[in-house]
Amino acid sequence: MNSRKRAQATAPLPPSKHQASTPAVEEEFVDEDFFLDETLIQEDEESLILRDFEERQALASCLSKWARPPLSPSYVSLSQSVFFQQLEIDYVIGESHKELLPTSSGPAAIIRIFGVTKEGHSVCCKVHGFEPYFYISCPLGMGLDDISRFHQILEGRMREVNRNSKVPKHVRRIEMVHRRNIMYYQQQTSHPFLKIVVALPTMVTSCRGILDRGIQIDGFGMKSFMTYESNVLFALRFMIDCNIVGGNWIEVPAGKYKKTAKNLSYCQLEVDCLFSDLISHAPEGEFSKMAPFRILSFDIECAGRKGHFPEPTHDPVIQVANLVTLQGEDQPFVRNVMTLKSCSPIVGVDVMPFNTEREVLLAWRDLIREVDPDIIIGYNICKFDLPYLIERAQTLGIAEFPILGRIRNSRVRVKDTTFSSRQYGTRESKEVTVEGRVQFDLLQAMQRDYKLSSYSLNSVSAHFLSEQKEDVHHSIISDLQNGNAETRRRLAVYCLKDAYLPQRLLDKLMYIYNYVEMARVTGVPISFLLSRGQSIKVLSQLLRKAKQKGLVLPNVKATGSEQGTYEGATVLEAKAGFYEKPIATLDFASLYPSIMMAYNLCYCTLVTPEDVRKLNLSPECVNKTPSGETFVKSNLQKGILPEILEELISARKRAKSDLKEAKDPLEKAVLDGRQLALKISANSVYGFTGATVGQLPCLEISSSVTSYGRQMIEHTKKLVEDKFTTIGGYEYNAEVIYGDTDSVMVQFGVPTVEAAMDLGREAAEYISRTFIKPIKLEFEKVYYPYLLISKKRYAGLYWTNPNKFDKMDTKGIETVRRDNCLLVKNLVTECLHKILIDRDIPGAVQYVKNSISDLLMNRMDLSLLVITKGLTKTGEDYEVKAAHVELAERMRKRDPATAPNVGDRVPYVIIKSAKGAKAYERSEDPIYVLDNNIPIDPQYYLENQISKPLLRIFEPILKNASKELLQGSHTRSISISTPSNSGIMKFAKKRLSCIGCKALINNTEQTLCSHCKGREAELYCKSVSQVSELESLFGRLWTQCQECQGSLHQDVLCTSRDCPIFYRRKKAQKDMAEAKCQLDRWNF
Amino acid sequence: MEIDSERNLQRKQATYQSLDESFMIQKEVYKGQQYSHIYFARLHFMRTLLYSLVPNWKPHLPVCTILGLEEGKECIIVGTLFKHMKLKPSILDEYSKERSVTSLVKPHNFVHIDDCLILEDESGRVKLTGTLLSPSAYVTGIVAAVHGKDSGAGDFVVQDFLEAGLPPQVELPLKSREDKYVVFVSGLSVGSSTSNPLQFQLLVDHITGHLGDEKEQGIAAQIVHLVVAGNSVEIPYGLLNGQNLAAKDQSRLSEPIKELDILLTQIAAGIPLDIMPGPNDPANFALPQQPLNRCLFPGSAAYNTFRSCTNPHCFVLDNIRFLGTSGQNVDDLEKYSEANDKLEFMERTLRWRHLAPTAPNTLGCYPFTDRDPFLIESCPHVYFVGNQEKFQTRLIKGSEGQLVRLICVPKFCDNGVAVVLNTKNLECHTLSFATQLSS
Repeated sequence: MNSRKRAQATAPLPPSKHQASTPAVEEEFVDEDFFLDETLIQEDEESLILRDFEERQALASCLSKWARPPLSPSYVSLSQSVFFQQLEIDYVIGESHKELLPTSSGPAAIIRIFGVTKEGHSVCCKVHGFEPYFYISCPLGMGLDDISRFHQILEGRMREVNRNSKVPKHVRRIEMVHRRNIMYYQQQTSHPFLKIVVALPTMVTSCRGILDRGIQIDGFGMKSFMTYESNVLFALRFMIDCNIVGGNWIEVPAGKYKKTAKNLSYCQLEVDCLFSDLISHAPEGEFSKMAPFRILSFDIECAGRKGHFPEPTHDPVIQVANLVTLQGEDQPFVRNVMTLKSCSPIVGVDVMPFNTEREVLLAWRDLIREVDPDIIIGYNICKFDLPYLIERAQTLGIAEFPILGRIRNSRVRVKDTTFSSRQYGTRESKEVTVEGRVQFDLLQAMQRDYKLSSYSLNSVSAHFLSEQKEDVHHSIISDLQNGNAETRRRLAVYCLKDAYLPQRLLDKLMYIYNYVEMARVTGVPISFLLSRGQSIKVLSQLLRKAKQKGLVLPNVKATGSEQGTYEGATVLEAKAGFYEKPIATLDFASLYPSIMMAYNLCYCTLVTPEDVRKLNLSPECVNKTPSGETFVKSNLQKGILPEILEELISARKRAKSDLKEAKDPLEKAVLDGRQLALKISANSVYGFTGATVGQLPCLEISSSVTSYGRQMIEHTKKLVEDKFTTIGGYEYNAEVIYGDTDSVMVQFGVPTVEAAMDLGREAAEYISRTFIKPIKLEFEKVYYPYLLISKKRYAGLYWTNPNKFDKMDTKGIETVRRDNCLLVKNLVTECLHKILIDRDIPGAVQYVKNSISDLLMNRMDLSLLVITKGLTKTGEDYEVKAAHVELAERMRKRDPATAPNVGDRVPYVIIKSAKGAKAYERSEDPIYVLDNNIPIDPQYYLENQISKPLLRIFEPILKNASKELLQGSHTRSISISTPSNSGIMKFAKKRLSCIGCKALINNTEQTLCSHCKGREAELYCKSVSQVSELESLFGRLWTQCQECQGSLHQDVLCTSRDCPIFYRRKKAQKDMAEAKCQLDRWNF
Repeated sequence: MEIDSERNLQRKQATYQSLDESFMIQKEVYKGQQYSHIYFARLHFMRTLLYSLVPNWKPHLPVCTILGLEEGKECIIVGTLFKHMKLKPSILDEYSKERSVTSLVKPHNFVHIDDCLILEDESGRVKLTGTLLSPSAYVTGIVAAVHGKDSGAGDFVVQDFLEAGLPPQVELPLKSREDKYVVFVSGLSVGSSTSNPLQFQLLVDHITGHLGDEKEQGIAAQIVHLVVAGNSVEIPYGLLNGQNLAAKDQSRLSEPIKELDILLTQIAAGIPLDIMPGPNDPANFALPQQPLNRCLFPGSAAYNTFRSCTNPHCFVLDNIRFLGTSGQNVDDLEKYSEANDKLEFMERTLRWRHLAPTAPNTLGCYPFTDRDPFLIESCPHVYFVGNQEKFQTRLIKGSEGQLVRLICVPKFCDNGVAVVLNTKNLECHTLSFATQLSS
């Protein structure tokens, strides 16, 4: 309570209902703060920033060595054209530029392009004169006079809606243009459309609203209009019209730009120009390179209170680690850590200790300003680090902190957003807008691009960088902070590592290249790629193409899912079994794009059922799809979707062949990123047409695509089974055993991989000839042997050359499911390995039996049994009782300091307890289980975890699989450990038993009973071999932890429960102590 | 001893003192301690030593801690080396996503061109760069002094390198010595498919003087000590899978040990013998390996000439200091570094003054809390390692006149070779019992 009060005293909270109870002193303080907030910032922000300037001079000189290179004279004198690679495009509302646009006045949208020149200068280019607009179709018979009257009426209505705006003219002008609706095949090439140009981007929406609802026009009556392209974001509109794609190079020619009188940004070059003077360069040759952006990777540490996750209103920020890397270099040029209170130096790192939190925060702000990063990366920075810093500064009343963007006078604000997309689901997030800098949160990128069992930085880096990250529990962080300069140094090293990992992930996964290329291919700004769904990318391409063709896109209102669903891709019935003959796989190469190209499926080639009757098109000119739609062939009208696809595919071919020739690794990275982006883009076009809540859904297209797909799979099956028969002169009858969306699995019956490959190639070629180009069936691989479980679930060895298999390929089989324990994964992988690679089915069965026996005999490594779930809400908020929530509650009662909090992941094991106890009551903390020898419940693991996945694998192979595996003699012997914490054990008397036969012995000096004498050598060997195994394990485990920690002389304090060896090393420690005692009994 | 009618051969005697206490683990228990302590103890001891050497090495240079490094300033730092190795196997590999189908390319050596050295003291670590040091010759765990300067990017550019060098040695008593022999044998592997019982019996008969003519028996009488350096038996550990053993398997397990006991009893009746545990013996795994339990040797343990020793093993015989291992230390060095021959590895450990620098990093070892028993404080006169591919020997000289006989003792089961050392002049030769098996 005490801390809460103090926090409130310093917080600039508006005096609300607490007023009565809070003392007067606090009120005054609050008021004063408000005074600062209201006036100082707005009038003289600069001086505020400079407030503690003198004190910070030392810091400033420290930071200035990292500043960007100084401008050359030709830049200073404006005698040089400015070439820069843009990274971020947004707009602001400002007064229109008097010199550039002498005719207009009042507020207007000014586009801001932020970028970097090849010398590494930061650029802010303000583009004037680009106006927001959209289209409506021109009513029949509307002449020029009618248009001006319509203009007046619309202006009047707009004035009513936007009462507060100071705009002199809302609807700037209305032009008559000739365009054509993209929807449906039309014989006429163009129709009159009205292009309505408005003053400000936001007015597009309000104007659309007016037109949607209907407007009274003299001579035409009440009329409502369908709008076209009114849902295009202004920045994207600008990019499309100026042919700018995300991340490309822009030239502002010398003489065409003006230097801003008063710089509004912190960029080195700030220029004003007209949109028509910009030159956008296609990303080819010299312009496909990357500018040397500055990438800042950072991480913060907060000192949380015991038992609570850090909250910005209470818990101080104690360290911020920063690494700045120039794009294209492999080492950061700034390694810095800012700490609260003294910190011992770290080699190669610039350690900046400060006495107050305020200084830390302000120093960080100064670092951002001085280093001027173009891209800010980190792990979970969008949801945690950035909002935390800003909210913390708010709590401390540091009004001048959040000036982190590139615009002077503009403070960073936090707002809550939800992002939802059919593909990625709904995610709550916080949006922190840092103007002019791209934020790239690796966590978001990971969640988007990879399906992983856990997204903790630890497991992500284990997955991609194959190294474990040391994890320091947040309860230890406070202790380290409250220690001395040495312990804080320890923390700083940890913090730096956390800041470095995102950068390494970025490099390893080529994120910069891939995302910039994706932006270039699809034409959207880079920031869209992370913050928006798939459809904007297709929309951007569609709009660009439509613009070339004089087509416009209607703004279809989202109708939700009621528009119905269509039949998806079916799969051929899987003939489950274990195939010990080679299975050839015939794949359609990018099936859906090729169908769309082959049958010219597009918005503009679709013929409405009415038109089919009316237009009387000859059957040679149209295709009737299996789902019953009609599309015209390309001789009448070439579709623009097929055209986009053709371009994407040929661009990919080009990129791939360039990639082969490329020598320079950076160039290779760019090209590889590009071909990947092109592939993804080509595949997402189909999805765009099927997204019912999307921008321009057209189920006629998507259902036609899938119906063709189904037809082709069936067709292939038929041809294969008809041609490859003994009657047809082949050795065996071919059989199609399974067919998925775009592949067909064929058993030709031949015994060797080579023969199957030959037949596969022959079949692919033969069948391809029956399809329209570019649909092509390819032979790619052979599975041998092949275990087909059911549809979408199979495993097999993957062969692309007849001499050696490439890998083991599995699909849909438990390997990375979150709610399974590791044992399942290990068992499944090992069994598949034994069955497929070693071809040893009895061995696999024996392995399963041994594992089950180990489980029942309590010999299983505990870490394999740990199940982990994220705690997202507190207990009361869950409707159904869940094991991990119950456990978290119980742990809180035991020790609130170490109990998991909301947001943590809770690991647990299921323990034995009273009969009839629910599973959620039987969850227990694995550490507690280890410490107290609590018996786990093998039956639970047997029945609820391992039985289903195992039976799935073995059922096609074994008769009576369940009986054989789960009920044999190996399940009869069980061992249960005695808990050391239960009441009854207090009354039990411990007596020694003979090591050989477990008979009790009275004499404590002895090891064996009289009966077992003579077997000493053998029994000793047994004991000692156990110890020896444990010793070896102990050494390997603990030295690995030292390795991860990066220090030999300091104790390991990592508590990463995500790490696979965390419990194991603890258990090894404990087992070792016990085994040693047992062995010591021999030394009589 | 067989009594001859004409001459009565008397076996020679030697004084013997075991120095194994420091390798004994008695009171120590596992109670959660980690490996940082042993590194700390090592660094502490070695640093004191190196600091005392620095004034003679580079008197003009300041000595810094790693934390105290200043950019561009030349200085000397002392710390523990850590070799970052790309190919080093890790226990985490067991958990890697995809089980690799092909096994490691070179499982016997993990040296890679990209390996780099890092120097660490309790204050921090710094990467060592420069062309002077070749990482392939060094391993994790060595303590050394480095002269160079901080390049500013977190690297330390090495200009010179100082190892502790051979430890001081008690001078060898040269006067009035006679021929006395110490026999070394290792890798008897009783019970393995490659071991030949006949060879071992010949060895026993030779040592006990039951073989050859009078002259040979005279030589045999000069053998004063036998050292069995590890891997004396091969036990089918595959039988121990946690399940209860069938009676048949029980005996299979203890059979080799019984056989060994019988042979050792014959020897112990004649001359003193030291038996050291090795990696395959029924002993613990981590170094220092504790003496093989006497319950394994009901026959030979009855003699006071039979000594079950630790591995590593250290003793003084007639004022000559012997130090040796069953081979794990050198084998591990071979995996993680490179040298021309095994003797070079041995020589390095002496120069580093550490018997097993890779322990605990890659070589299992007990987590000592207050000491590092593997530090070599006093230079041995004879330094042997068991279970090597072939017999090799060399006499090396230290800068202060130290003289050390290095011996690689070959595996006896491979070709029946034992090594004989003459304590008079530290000369060394082999005894070969190779037999042709007619099979």
